[in-house]
Amino acid sequence: MPTYPQETDRYSLQPKKFIVWLFMISSFIFFAGLTSGFIVYSGDNLAKQLNVKMPDAFIYSTILVIASSISLQWAYIQTKRLNFAKQRLGLWLTIALGVAFTCSQLYGWMVLTGLGAFFTSSNASISFVYVFTLFHILHIIAGLILIIGSIISSYKAVPNVLNIFRMEISIVFWHFVDILWIYLYVFLLLNQ
Amino acid sequence: MATLTLNDTHTAHHDHAAHGDHGHHKETFLTKYVFSQDHKMIAKQFLITGIFMGVVAMTLSILFRIQLAYPDESFPLLEMLLGKFAPEGRLDPNFYLSLVTIHGTIMVFFVLTAGLSGTFSNLLIPLQLGARDMASPFMNMLSYWFFAIASAIMLATFFIETGPASSGWTIYPPLSALPKAMPGSGLGMTMWLISMVLFVASSLMGGINYVSTVLNMRTKGMDLWKMPLTIWAFFLTAIVGILSFPVLVAAVVLLIFDRSFGTSFYLSDIYIAGQALPNEGGSPVLWQHLFWFLGHPEVYIVLMPALGITSEVIATNARKPIFGYHAMVYSLIGITILSFIVWGHHMFVTGMNPFLGGVFMITTLVIAVPSAVKTFNYLATLWRGNIRFTPAMLFAIGLVSFFISGGLTGIFLGNAALDINLHDTYFVVAHFHLVMGSAAIFGMLSGIYHWFPKMFGKMMDAKLGYLHFWLTFISAYLVFFPMHFMGLDGVPRRYYAFTEFESMSEWLSVNKFITWAAILGAVAQVAFLYNFVYSIFWGKKTVQNPWESTTLEWTTPVEHLHGNWPGEIPTVYRWPYDYSKPGADADFIPQTTPLSETMSSNLPHDFEGNEESERIQLDWEKQNKKELVK
Amino acid sequence: MKISKYINTKSVFALIAIIGLFVNNLFAQAAATATTAVVDPEKNAYVPKMVTYYLLLFLLVCIVIALIGKILSVYDLTKKVQGAKEGFSWDKFNGILFLLFLVVGLYGAYWSYTVQGAQILPESASEHGVKIDEMFNVTLIITTIVFVVTHILLFVFSYKYSYNKKKRAHFIPHNDTLEKYWTVIPAIVLTILVLLGFFTWRDITNISQDGIRNAIHIEVTGHQFAWEVRYGGKDNVNGRKNYKLIGNLGGLNSLGLDLSDKSNYDDLTVSEIVLPIGKPVRFTLGSKDVLHSFYMPHFRAQMNCVPGMATSFQFTPRLTTADMRDKVNDPNFNYFLLCAKICGGSHYNMKFAVKVVSQKEYDKWLAEQKPLVTAAMIKSYQESLAQKDTKVADNKIALNN
Repeated sequence: MPTYPQETDRYSLQPKKFIVWLFMISSFIFFAGLTSGFIVYSGDNLAKQLNVKMPDAFIYSTILVIASSISLQWAYIQTKRLNFAKQRLGLWLTIALGVAFTCSQLYGWMVLTGLGAFFTSSNASISFVYVFTLFHILHIIAGLILIIGSIISSYKAVPNVLNIFRMEISIVFWHFVDILWIYLYVFLLLNQ
Repeated sequence: MATLTLNDTHTAHHDHAAHGDHGHHKETFLTKYVFSQDHKMIAKQFLITGIFMGVVAMTLSILFRIQLAYPDESFPLLEMLLGKFAPEGRLDPNFYLSLVTIHGTIMVFFVLTAGLSGTFSNLLIPLQLGARDMASPFMNMLSYWFFAIASAIMLATFFIETGPASSGWTIYPPLSALPKAMPGSGLGMTMWLISMVLFVASSLMGGINYVSTVLNMRTKGMDLWKMPLTIWAFFLTAIVGILSFPVLVAAVVLLIFDRSFGTSFYLSDIYIAGQALPNEGGSPVLWQHLFWFLGHPEVYIVLMPALGITSEVIATNARKPIFGYHAMVYSLIGITILSFIVWGHHMFVTGMNPFLGGVFMITTLVIAVPSAVKTFNYLATLWRGNIRFTPAMLFAIGLVSFFISGGLTGIFLGNAALDINLHDTYFVVAHFHLVMGSAAIFGMLSGIYHWFPKMFGKMMDAKLGYLHFWLTFISAYLVFFPMHFMGLDGVPRRYYAFTEFESMSEWLSVNKFITWAAILGAVAQVAFLYNFVYSIFWGKKTVQNPWESTTLEWTTPVEHLHGNWPGEIPTVYRWPYDYSKPGADADFIPQTTPLSETMSSNLPHDFEGNEESERIQLDWEKQNKKELVK
Repeated sequence: MKISKYINTKSVFALIAIIGLFVNNLFAQAAATATTAVVDPEKNAYVPKMVTYYLLLFLLVCIVIALIGKILSVYDLTKKVQGAKEGFSWDKFNGILFLLFLVVGLYGAYWSYTVQGAQILPESASEHGVKIDEMFNVTLIITTIVFVVTHILLFVFSYKYSYNKKKRAHFIPHNDTLEKYWTVIPAIVLTILVLLGFFTWRDITNISQDGIRNAIHIEVTGHQFAWEVRYGGKDNVNGRKNYKLIGNLGGLNSLGLDLSDKSNYDDLTVSEIVLPIGKPVRFTLGSKDVLHSFYMPHFRAQMNCVPGMATSFQFTPRLTTADMRDKVNDPNFNYFLLCAKICGGSHYNMKFAVKVVSQKEYDKWLAEQKPLVTAAMIKSYQESLAQKDTKVADNKIALNN
């Protein structure tokens, strides 16, 4: 049976990449569920609308996350050019930016609580802000794990096909998380 | 011994495979039966777990049926079995609600979602599409084990002090959010929520895998319009799952925050157990929106695979092409899309804006059209067929009957005006037990009888199958048909006893009748379980294609191999429903038979506008005119 | 080492019998140990007997089925040995059963429609309910026709086209005209139903401001596990309330009335809902704890009671209790209100009496009802006000210092 192994190679990567896309769709639906929950909740009732100004920390987060997307893209280009040292640099930079983003989000929470907008508020619109950011941070952590996977495969001598494949998955997912944050932030800005 | 030979071929195959650069590990018991990554084994794991959960849920239903039939009698046996949940031999009212809740949850999610979709999607998607395995076998394995853990947690709630969750399978807050409201909303509810999150994770992993496999791993020649209707159904079901389950997670997450962290998403203005809670501004209706945005598509997640299986079984056993293949696919697509915009019909009387109610009523009744099309197509498939009544076929016909009976009552409930008086009555219970409960279970049983030879290499006993079908079919109607009338008398569901209302006491005799019919139905399942277990070990060995079917799975050898086909994956040349084609020798032509081998039976539309083939066919027909004229 | 050799039908049944006996013994022992705990030992001794009885019965049935199966297979074999063309035709057999099922089933449905159908709710006691019932009947007629016709087709086809070796199925993959018909016809029928339903629904839910103002205002509050009902009183307005006030005023304030709102003082508390015939009533619904559902089946009225959100349902009664007693021919008949949304352990027991009477009787009854705000409550309220005043005064003094 000579055909079997070849077929596996041809098939195994493409469907897996597709799986990542499908996962992103379902996780986007999760956030869409939350945001539409927000809309249903705040609805036509003025008292239930978001009456807090979003902290500036969220602007810095946005800048950080966009920067991290760029650095990751750069790492990917370097991988394709087989510049593995630069690839690693780009990946480490992305991780640093990702961690900075998380810290900035946490700082944003601190600012919010400072304004008296607590998680357990009688206006659940404010609780929603925490829920959005919390689950977004979980996605960031998942993205960071993927990037760490890419770094490991970059240090280990794995076949370059696999290396690039892992990079592609990380990059697609990271951009998704990036766009997700922008979506959430814009959503919050429109509703505040 | 059969298993021995099975093992032999297996290892032999791997010895061959090891020559390739792929290097397989030697399989141990653990990797073969427990943490298997082979889609066929995972399918069997799903099936057996699903059947086990089904038996549990059925037993629960018998327990609460006994309470409904004999509200004033005491059964010391119950106390022995259930201890403090049935003091003095009578079910505790809170435990009654637990039984109802867990029965619903297990049946809807664990049996009819995981047991049905999980089993047959895993088994049939690679086999009927001509793939070696799923897109990600590892994720597939995870999917099963998440499901298994979720099941274990769900069952474990029976062994905790406060009992299982008991606020109905829809777990509407505030009832489900406040441990003070009922004992079941304590630890039992927490475990329910954890179990459901794991379950959703399992379903998502499964669904993502199915979609990716269907779109990327079809064999040569298998374009979308050559896929069997089973695959279409599984594919669309998986899409519905991917798009709706995350919303349930979102809803559950918010509920967890409300329960444990003091937020007020769903809670407002509550005074319970002598004190006012601090929560303000929340909206219980928000939960209902989020829940039913999953909940309604969930109904189709349950039903569509059953319809897909039925299409396949009916066509095979009527020896006829399924009538209106394209219409069947389009109606499935229609149902998929519409299922996302009808959830509001569960909320006509919840205080939702009446205008919205009107809109949801329109979308809901629109969804009846594709359903009607499917029914008529089934009937037309039977018409002038040559029907072989295998047990699978009997169950498929049973499904059509339930689908009609239950579907028609949906027209009442989808009508907002009528729903005012029918909402949360036994009419609803009758409706969904017929159209989604019985129909989907029958689809599942039909699939088990039909693909048992493929799964286990053995045949099930047909006569026991007939007995099983007739007893189940009759008892299901006896149980659910009278419930419509109870509903029309305004008897609400989830009532522990009908003794407190004089007008309901006239239904007591009916309740007794229903309970005994349900017990008959439950006992009938013993015939199935015996048949199932017996046939796995001692059943008659099957031939490769026992039902003379056209689809790809019957071209694989009876003994399972990792990778499904020993040689090259077969190429597909035709649609899956060439049964009883005029001019052909046999009454079925497998999908793998090229058109060039069946010149006598080719029809113009087989060529899909390929002019050269059409020309060749015409030439051939001219040459063989004499034969054709006869 | 072939295990399956040892396992045939006989030994399986023997095993089942042994297991059955074992389980019996187990139950008997469990019963023996449990007797100390349970008061009625006689009843307890009854359990193992009952279990044995049913188990034996079940085994007997299994054996009979196994015997029949054996006989059938022997019959099949002998037929084959004799050289008959085919054994017993299960296809024919199942086809006939389907036909039989159709006949018996249709009769059963007819029986259900007439006998159990006679036990359903009597004609609607409210005006909008009559419209609902009309809609229901139209839908029922249409669906019954479809139900009967499709089932006749399904089972007659099953019988008529059951397997015949000599025949071959007819190859028709599709027929566009036919498919068009059965897509368009249901669509048209459903459109009619949707339109009818939509207008009925709008009539029920869309009530003009005048209509609302002219209705009698009654507030129903659900809690675990009872209803509290108050009438609007002279001003026909149910006064403001706040859930945080529940239980104050020395525990007398069960609804959380805000006594600073003057319209609370004339609100009446009642122990049964009494409605005058022909007058629109508007129920404002609420809940103290979990979801409940206000359901009065005879009036075709249902609406959920949601904590933190007032819902409402308005209708006009058209038959008095006495009228209805005549109609259903039961002198003890009474209307009632019940809870239709799962709300906890005693969900099944949330009854509240409802009565419809003539205007005269209603006026008389209303005059006898007591206000919800009792003298004790007012006193307690004033005391608390006085306390607050002194507190405020204290604070002022404190501030001044």
